[in-house]
Amino acid sequence: MSATAEHDKSSTGAPQPGANLLAMMGRIPLAGFVSVVTGLLLWEVLSRFVVANPLFLAAPSQIFTAIVSLSESGQLGHHIAVSGLEFLLGYVIASFIGIGLGLAMASSQTAKQVCQPWISGLYATPTIALAPLFILWFGIGTWSKVLVVILLVLFPVTINTEAGLRTTSVRLIEMLRSFGATPRQIFLKVSLPSATPFILAGLKLGIGRGLIAVVVAELFGSRAGLGRLISQSADAFNMPELFAGVVVLAAAGIAMTAGFGWLERKLVPWTKD
Amino acid sequence: MPVKLAISGLGKRFDALEALRGIDLAVERGEFISVVGPSGCGKTTFLRIVAGLEAATAGQVLIDGKPVTKPGGDRGFVFQSDNLLPWRTVFDNAMIGPEVAGRAGAVEKQRTLDLLKLVGLGGFERYHPRQLSGGMRQRVNLARALAIDPDILLMDEPFSALDAQTREIMQTELLRIWEQGRKTVLFVTHQIDEAVFLSDRVLVFARRPGRLQETVNVTLPRPRALPVKRTPEFVRYVDHIWRLIEDDVRASVIEEHA
Repeated sequence: MSATAEHDKSSTGAPQPGANLLAMMGRIPLAGFVSVVTGLLLWEVLSRFVVANPLFLAAPSQIFTAIVSLSESGQLGHHIAVSGLEFLLGYVIASFIGIGLGLAMASSQTAKQVCQPWISGLYATPTIALAPLFILWFGIGTWSKVLVVILLVLFPVTINTEAGLRTTSVRLIEMLRSFGATPRQIFLKVSLPSATPFILAGLKLGIGRGLIAVVVAELFGSRAGLGRLISQSADAFNMPELFAGVVVLAAAGIAMTAGFGWLERKLVPWTKD
Repeated sequence: MPVKLAISGLGKRFDALEALRGIDLAVERGEFISVVGPSGCGKTTFLRIVAGLEAATAGQVLIDGKPVTKPGGDRGFVFQSDNLLPWRTVFDNAMIGPEVAGRAGAVEKQRTLDLLKLVGLGGFERYHPRQLSGGMRQRVNLARALAIDPDILLMDEPFSALDAQTREIMQTELLRIWEQGRKTVLFVTHQIDEAVFLSDRVLVFARRPGRLQETVNVTLPRPRALPVKRTPEFVRYVDHIWRLIEDDVRASVIEEHA
């Protein structure tokens, strides 16, 4: 009898994942959709009739046309490929190093003492300002950009990995210890899974920082890439193409962050209620 | 009846604080023993030493004649908070013990499934902890400890976070499950009526330092059902134990508010 009572409680109390998603889809998009469309319309009107000078502001329709013509000529694809490669290389390398460093710092007090001052110092520094230096050292090709991306992505990943492992619930560790678990088993069965949401959050933070790194590094000196497209267009007062570059970057950022949201729901659903 | 658990001269010191002093106890196989006392009497420390989660600073704990130095598969610990892994299903949570011991074979899986049924969670194997009520989570906590088929079950105030009605239900459920396996149980609680209802013997602890003040033999017939709590004998036991610890409880309450 008691089990039935508790069952009822849980089936009404626990949120149904499917129903929740539907409710969200039904609610947010209407207001969100109206907000975006109104914003775009205001922008269009403002740039065509108020500013009315294509040297200062491009209208959404002009940006759209620029994107289409840049894609047709193959230029946009080339810029995206160059920036995409720089971002991907830097991001993947930084993720591996960052998670590794975080693991080392969480498991060894010495490693933490050695790394902590550098990581705290460099995380707080606007390291993006070092981009010209990297270009001076490593040339205007891909690798100087990759290094800037690494420098910006590395720290949030490291800090979050370390924090996630360090904040593992002592009660969960003790539970495992009561079954005679080895340190290795405790790490694999408790610490690592409970740090996963933190690590994912660090990687998510890294997306925005990595995109900034690519663009800014390219602004300082490059042959191709979205940052290059933006600086070229700015020099030529070609606002539609400048905004085309920005829109593509924004879309990439939104798409990757949304992808991460999906990944989080798959990998760490217990943090989502 | 053979002695399962023998404790002699057990003491524990945390720097200046003496948490436990001179505990002697012999527990027979299949006995249900409760430990009650005011907060700060060291009852949880006592249980943790028997579990091997903490080391004693004096005396020793023997299980079947062998000294306890660390946690082992002969003891199952039921925690005050359920300590379920949120990313695991009910079944996978209950299987953690056999898994850690490297014995997660078909036999253990079947036993765990049977245990989940026994604790009233049949059909909930694939649920996650966040989908369960507090009472159900404590049932998983219990099944998890039983899944390693321990000789001794150590329970640290397992029902204290539950509401009063759920707690009463869980007490009867625990007795029902215990009647089937007759494990040796050490049950720590601050609820006197819970201790009397469940136990063959109630150990009454005093504080500063934590020590065994009196052992109360409960001779109420088994199996016991909830109505026994309203009988005069039952009330006499509760009243007697309350008198033993009343002054200590008052002192600890005043200290907590100071």
